This record gives sequence, C-alpha cells and structure tokens, in this order.
Amino acid sequence: MDWVAVALSQDLRNAMAMPARIDGTDLALWRSMSGQVHAWGDRCPHRGMRLSHGFVRGETLSCIYHGWQYGQDGGCTSIPAHPKLTPPKTICATTYQCVEDGGLIWVALNEVTTAPPTLSGKTPVRSVQINTPRHEVAAHFGDAEATIVNAVDMTLVLQSTDDAHCIAHVLSTADPKVASRWIEAQRAEIEGVAA
Amino acid sequence: MNNSADNHWYPVAMCSGIDDPRETQLLGRKISLGGTSGNFWVRDSEGRDLPVIEKYGHLWTSPGKPNRDLFDIPEADDVGRRLVDVGSVRVKCSPLRAVENFLDIAHFPFVHTDILGAEPHTEVERYDVKIHEDVDEIWATKVKFFQPQAAKSAGGGIITDYKYRVAAPTCAVLYKTSPPRPGEWDVITLFVQPLTEELCEVWPWMALYDDDAEMADLVSFQQMIFMQDRSILENQIPRKLPLDPGLEAPTQADLTSVAYRRWLKKIGYSYGAQVVAA
Repeated sequence: MDWVAVALSQDLRNAMAMPARIDGTDLALWRSMSGQVHAWGDRCPHRGMRLSHGFVRGETLSCIYHGWQYGQDGGCTSIPAHPKLTPPKTICATTYQCVEDGGLIWVALNEVTTAPPTLSGKTPVRSVQINTPRHEVAAHFGDAEATIVNAVDMTLVLQSTDDAHCIAHVLSTADPKVASRWIEAQRAEIEGVAA
Repeated sequence: MNNSADNHWYPVAMCSGIDDPRETQLLGRKISLGGTSGNFWVRDSEGRDLPVIEKYGHLWTSPGKPNRDLFDIPEADDVGRRLVDVGSVRVKCSPLRAVENFLDIAHFPFVHTDILGAEPHTEVERYDVKIHEDVDEIWATKVKFFQPQAAKSAGGGIITDYKYRVAAPTCAVLYKTSPPRPGEWDVITLFVQPLTEELCEVWPWMALYDDDAEMADLVSFQQMIFMQDRSILENQIPRKLPLDPGLEAPTQADLTSVAYRRWLKKIGYSYGAQVVAA
C-alpha cells in the first residue's frame, strides 16, 4: 500500500493528538510542540490504551492511562510509576512513515521510498466521512481504482477507513463555502445510491 | 466453553432498586429477576429458578453450581460504618478489564487527576502480593500512594495506605485509610456483572466511616471516579483481557494485575479473556 492521506494539516494543531484509520488499522496522529507530525499504532504497549487519547508535552506523546511517555522514534522514555527506571528499549509504540505535503498529512503503513502525490494549486477545504466503500465513491467519479479524483475545480483525496467507510479530503480552487456545499451534495448522492 | 464461569456468584441488581420484575443479562444469557427483600427470585430464560443471595446491598445469583459461598466481607457488620449502594455504571469492556483497572493505582495521577493522584507524585513503591490458597483469593498489601483528595471526607493531601483483595474473578475489594479515622480502613468494592464478554454492569459498594457527608455526595463522588475510569476502559485494545504475557508490558507497579491474570489462567476463568495472543 502506498501513501494514504489521513487528515488536513490544519486539523491537527501543535501539541494535539487525534485518531485516524486506514483499512481497519487504528492510528494515533499527533503533532509535537515544534510542529512535527507522527502516525503511530493507536495502542500503548503497556495496557492497550488508545494513544490518540494521550497528551503531548514538547516532542513526546504520553498515554493518558499511566502517563508512559514516548519519544519521536516511538521508544518509551519515561514510566511515571518508576521515575528512576530507564525503560527497556523493547517498550516501543508502533511507528509509521508520516509526512506533510500539499496541506495534507500522509501515512504509509508499509515501507515506501517515493514521495506522496503532488497536488498543486488547490487549497485544503475539509474532510468528509462517507458511509460508502472507497472504491464505490471513486467509481461514482469514473474510476473505481482511483484514490485521487479531480472534478471541475475540486480534488478529492480518498482514504479508505474500513470495508464500508471512507473519508474524502477536499481541496479546491473555489470559494470554500461552495466547495463545502458541493461535497455535501456529492456525499448525499453517493450514500443514497449505495443505500 | 467458559463453563467454569458459570460456577461463581454474580451481582445482578441493587436490592434497594428492585421495584418491578425486570430482565437483564448474565454471561451472555437473558435472566429475569424480581421480588422483595427476603423473597427475591432470579430465573433463567427457560423459567428455571436460579439460586439467590441477598448480601452487601446486592442481589447475587449463579447460573451454575457454585462450589463455595459468597466471599465474606466481615467489615460489613462493623458498628458505625455507613453502607453505601453506589448504583451501577455500564461499561463497554471485558468484566476482567474493569476489575484489573480497579486493582491499579498507577493511573490515579492521570485519570483521577487532583483527586486520587497528582503529578509529580506518581511513584508506586514496591508492595506485596500473595495468593491465599486456602480461600483462593489474591491479596496486595503495603500499598501506599499520595492522594490530593483521597475521599469525600478528606480535607487535603495525604499518603493513603491501601490493601487490595480479589475475592472472586469479577469481584474485588479495596481497603484504604479512612480520613476521619486514620486507624481504620474504609471498604470500597467493585462487584462486576458480566453481561457479555465485552460489556459489563459495574456495581460499586462501600462501607465507610464518614458521619458527615450526605449520602448523595458520597454516591456522586464515587460515580465521578468510575466515569473517569470508563473513559479508559472503553478505549483499550483489545477489549478482552489478554492473559498470555507478551501482548502487554507490565512493570513492578503492575504486580497485582500480573497475579490476577495468572490466577485467572490457573483457575481456567476465560470469560472476557483473550487467551491466545492475536
């Protein structure tokens, strides 16, 4: 699998964490205080708590359950219950490749060596959940295999979240309000047809 | 499968809250219950009467043949204690995860911030854990933790002493320093009714030394604590409790949880457990 857009850059502010999903794999997206984005498996190795509920301090993410803190490489750097202990190297969050480009946050679940697709000249507007499989949404715009769809002055970047749902990240050269209304109308039509 | 789970006692209602007959679930099966104090009944889906016990403010039953009586909480009979039925909190998690969370103190500063714990007082010192073979219970003793507001009756921060006891696979009891009577232990229990393997009704119950607080305040304090726990319990992956080591990473602070998981495995209690690592 290649790069998948999981959020608009503007929707993940500094020192915040949020959940995301790619084909059933749960992710914790977080942005450090200095602005660096990360995509990790959404599970603290200690007790399985979702890391997307965690909190950011500086360049680290901490689990909300017991405060276990993880550095940029996913390695555990601190266990508050044992302040004097250096955590074993084996305690590590699952990390994925994650970059920002064209106003989107891109994640690759498998190793990739290419850069994410270039989307020139359009402004990110919003992300919309569609309760329809990705390939049906893509087919609605003409090509079931496509993950990037160009329609008039819009670009949709599609993210499959699971077998039945996807998210369309909308970029546009049009007035954001117009773009927003357009994607809402498309969504209603697609979900109506699928239903 | 999971037959051993049948042969234990489970809470299914608060005795004071049974006005009309009603249906609930136990271990994935429908049951009905009703009656009045001294005459409560519980029936399975085929209308067969199940055994009942009325104790610690709750109605208990078992779909199987329990090979022992309901565990004893002698403090329930102490003169001067207030017995508090807290009510129930429904949680989308394994009943075993709910018990394990109750046995954990390391989460206090992060989940019950400024109430049961606060940074930088996060250290969990070594404590003792033993399985008492004669009664088949797990006991954790010499547990100490700094608490900003240990109880409704606590005026300020204190080092609280704790003892934890796993009295049955889905029931645990904690004993903690009573703020108004430092020489005595307050008793707080967690009685868990497994509705299914991934859904439970949690019935906390307390026997406290607290002459001042309004009953409603005692209840709402404890409800608030459990609502905070619920935000954790409904977001653990997997939902079932992994019994095999490897999937999760315990430390010394988790000795009670480690003993609990081993004990569940030893007695073959697998309802709500993930036995094979996914």
